[in-house]
Amino acid sequence: MKITFPYWGNYTIAFKTLFKKLGLDVVPPEKTNPRAIEDGAKISPEMYCLPLKINIGNYLSAIKRGADTIFMVTSLGGSCRLRYYGAIQEKVLSDAGYDINFIVFDQTPKDIYKKIKEVSGASFWQIIKAGWFFYEKLRLIEKLEKMANYLRPRERIKGGTDKILMQAFLDLDKINIKKELAEFKKEIEQKISKIEIDKEKVVPKVGLVGEIFTVSDGAVNFGIEEKLGKEEVEVHREMDITYHLKKRVFPWKDWLIQRKINPYLGSTVGGHGRDAIYEMLNYVKKDFDGLIQLLPFGCMPEVTIRPILQKIHLKSGIPFLSLSLDEQAAEAGINTRIEAFVDVVKNYHNKKKKI
Amino acid sequence: MKTYLGIDVGSLTCKLVLINEKNEITFSSYFRTEGNPIQAVQKGLRELKNKIPKNTEILGVGTTGSARYLAGVITGADLIKNEITAHARGTTFFIPDVKTIIEIGGQDSKIIILENRVAVDFAMNLLCAAGTGSFLDAQAFRMDIPIERFGELALKSGNPTTISSRCTIFAESDMIHKQQIGHKTEDIVAGLCEGLARNFLSNVAKGKNIKPPIVFLGGVSENVGMRKAFKGALNQKIIVPKYNTVMGAFGVALLVKKLGFPKSKFFGFEISDKDIRCTSFICKGCPNQCEVIEARIDGKVIARWGDRCGKWSSLNL
Repeated sequence: MKITFPYWGNYTIAFKTLFKKLGLDVVPPEKTNPRAIEDGAKISPEMYCLPLKINIGNYLSAIKRGADTIFMVTSLGGSCRLRYYGAIQEKVLSDAGYDINFIVFDQTPKDIYKKIKEVSGASFWQIIKAGWFFYEKLRLIEKLEKMANYLRPRERIKGGTDKILMQAFLDLDKINIKKELAEFKKEIEQKISKIEIDKEKVVPKVGLVGEIFTVSDGAVNFGIEEKLGKEEVEVHREMDITYHLKKRVFPWKDWLIQRKINPYLGSTVGGHGRDAIYEMLNYVKKDFDGLIQLLPFGCMPEVTIRPILQKIHLKSGIPFLSLSLDEQAAEAGINTRIEAFVDVVKNYHNKKKKI
Repeated sequence: MKTYLGIDVGSLTCKLVLINEKNEITFSSYFRTEGNPIQAVQKGLRELKNKIPKNTEILGVGTTGSARYLAGVITGADLIKNEITAHARGTTFFIPDVKTIIEIGGQDSKIIILENRVAVDFAMNLLCAAGTGSFLDAQAFRMDIPIERFGELALKSGNPTTISSRCTIFAESDMIHKQQIGHKTEDIVAGLCEGLARNFLSNVAKGKNIKPPIVFLGGVSENVGMRKAFKGALNQKIIVPKYNTVMGAFGVALLVKKLGFPKSKFFGFEISDKDIRCTSFICKGCPNQCEVIEARIDGKVIARWGDRCGKWSSLNL
């Protein structure tokens, strides 16, 4: 049995380790590229959202390399079409003539444990250990991404941070032992502290909200964080896997969010719709200089809340840009919008500083 | 004479503006790109060279428009700026208190909201190219009306027909239908203009705070029918300033002048007689598979771009 799973930005590294640690044979997904998106879009129904098409594209390239089992997460009782993601993907693949073993698990510890046990036959202890190692790696990846967002606008040598980061992720991919990971952590911290930055520099801050997969995978959003960083804008993004997992473990967070956004939205709209409004209100409160919403074209929760975000933007005056991505999106068009938005953000920032 | 050059290479047309130290426009040209931005820039520079006095010195070059990178690379521009900022800068020079700019070009249309002379909000058409220059061009050609007379004809209509404006395809089939059932050409033309203004306001300008003074720019602003349609739809005065079609080029010239570089990187007018070629290839270095573009002048590589990691664009040539 050869297992594959969808590509998800740098987090793929952590997922790969998880399966390897469980002693499974893994065919890691290839980094999402235009060809994968095209292949996935070809066999998926036109109206489906971009992440689904990309997942399918990832599977296809893995199938070509010998994968025969797909691991896919679903979310019973919530989260937009993701509720049916596994089932839909299985159907899309079988309609296209692929006979693939599809393992769909729900986002609950119990179900994850049960399915993993079934597939791998690993002991309880082994699963816990693998899970913990996965979590440690994941935290490190998320930490590095956050640090990079702080460093990029301030670095003295342009592109220095990205060079170190790219190598770091390549190295991290090879690490499979706990001891090595601890060493790696130290090493990368040293390397990052050596990046020369201008600490005094005041840079505009932009918040990134939207659909979780689109905001956190640089291969899908055309590397928006790097682009903004290069234009000397600090990016903040709350949405990552840990955020999502925390909400799964502590469900009352949703209730807290709902209380804060009551004047705008009375109930859930699925996905991370409520979170985006909550985050935007937070960023406005923290005196940010701009907000970008990223969504896959046709993403129901994000499309539903877009007018609300627009309303907050008109009310507070914070610059706002909504980018809808699909397989037709051209990088040139996105670049023009980002460049113009950065100018608007800088105007807003300078205006505020003068007062 | 010390001057600054602004080049705006759009999808359909190419604009060149030369300004002097006092921000006066001493030369401006506006012509079709004809699908070949490199040749268009060369042609524009050749024309510029022949029309300006011999002692003219170019202290800075800025490029804008959808082909800004390409134009910037082949001319050695000092500044490459997006269209939004360039248009906002150019317009505020003539009308300092402008609040809204509607700009409709060959392939895209945009709205810019300004406050205190700087852009605070903007939107560009995402999925639909209805109402842009190339669509009007195609329809004028289909009805056998010269595009320059399109607007005049629209003004003649006393009773514009309603034309569906949700998208270009519907607009076109609806227009054909209206022709077949015997509506007058001028009514159809006027109806088309109104439909396109409606389409712009409900798609691009949706959710934007449109306040007067409103300025209308771009190639389509030459069309008096569209001016009237916007005036009717917004119930506001529409200002079409002088140099409405070359505003982006003018704006970027002002921006490059403000930068105040001591020496321009401009390659000089010789560039218009050189052989400039662009080729592209897909880098197989990693799964990103970036499409890298390579520009050569007389066979010598001058720049590469399009890669994400900087492997090609940062190469010393």
